[in-house]
Amino acid sequence: MRELGGVVSALYGLIFLNLLRTLRAGESAYTAFVDTMRTPPVLYVNLVLFALLVWHAVTWFMLIGKAQPIQFTERPLPWKSVFGVNVLLWIGVSAAVVYLVFGGI
Amino acid sequence: MGSTRESLAWNPGRETVHADEKTGEPEVFLEPLLWGLFSLGGFITAFLFPITVFLLFVAPVFGWWPTDPAAYATFAAHWQEPLVRLFFFALIGGSLFHGTHRLKFMLVDAGLRGPGIEAALDIILNAIAIVGTLGALYYAVRGWLFV
Repeated sequence: MRELGGVVSALYGLIFLNLLRTLRAGESAYTAFVDTMRTPPVLYVNLVLFALLVWHAVTWFMLIGKAQPIQFTERPLPWKSVFGVNVLLWIGVSAAVVYLVFGGI
Repeated sequence: MGSTRESLAWNPGRETVHADEKTGEPEVFLEPLLWGLFSLGGFITAFLFPITVFLLFVAPVFGWWPTDPAAYATFAAHWQEPLVRLFFFALIGGSLFHGTHRLKFMLVDAGLRGPGIEAALDIILNAIAIVGTLGALYYAVRGWLFV
């Protein structure tokens, strides 16, 4: 599942690339593409892919403390602590994206 | 035992272990670079993707967000800012290098093995990542550095 989430991210990379292409092409092309992404059949696929993306992010943060133990003291930090810190960072970064990239609420 | 490069570590076979690489072997350069881009892309994907997809394609449809960040006027206005362009360039490039590298090993695990097949996968998938990243760079700098 986690691996599939990684592949889904590449798929979204191509979708965002097309979003930029349609933005360059003009308002009608851009709006048509965004509307297509929100039409029910595509929307349901979007919801499944979004769930896979979130799962990929959560498992990635879980892996950090296990695959590369973080060591400030004699013993490495427990992976659950590292995971908790990463989730807090994730929330902070997401809030920064909301305000800096999308102009806030 | 005259060489200073011989290991003093535990060595049950009592064979000399050389720390230096064997002569004649080609230096590995591309593989660690691709793994590095994969790892960097993994961080970018994990931290930045969920909120971006949520805001553009999920939340406005269900009324979970007071505004529509993907509306043309809104998105086009934000697109004028260099930080937003840099954000989408990193997002697209990171996700493509991460996802295509992951896809390659999923296909190898699924049975697409062999030097020829793996070389073909490397070429096709890395080409997608490189061309996609260059495309994102083109859109990011167009209208900003040139018309």
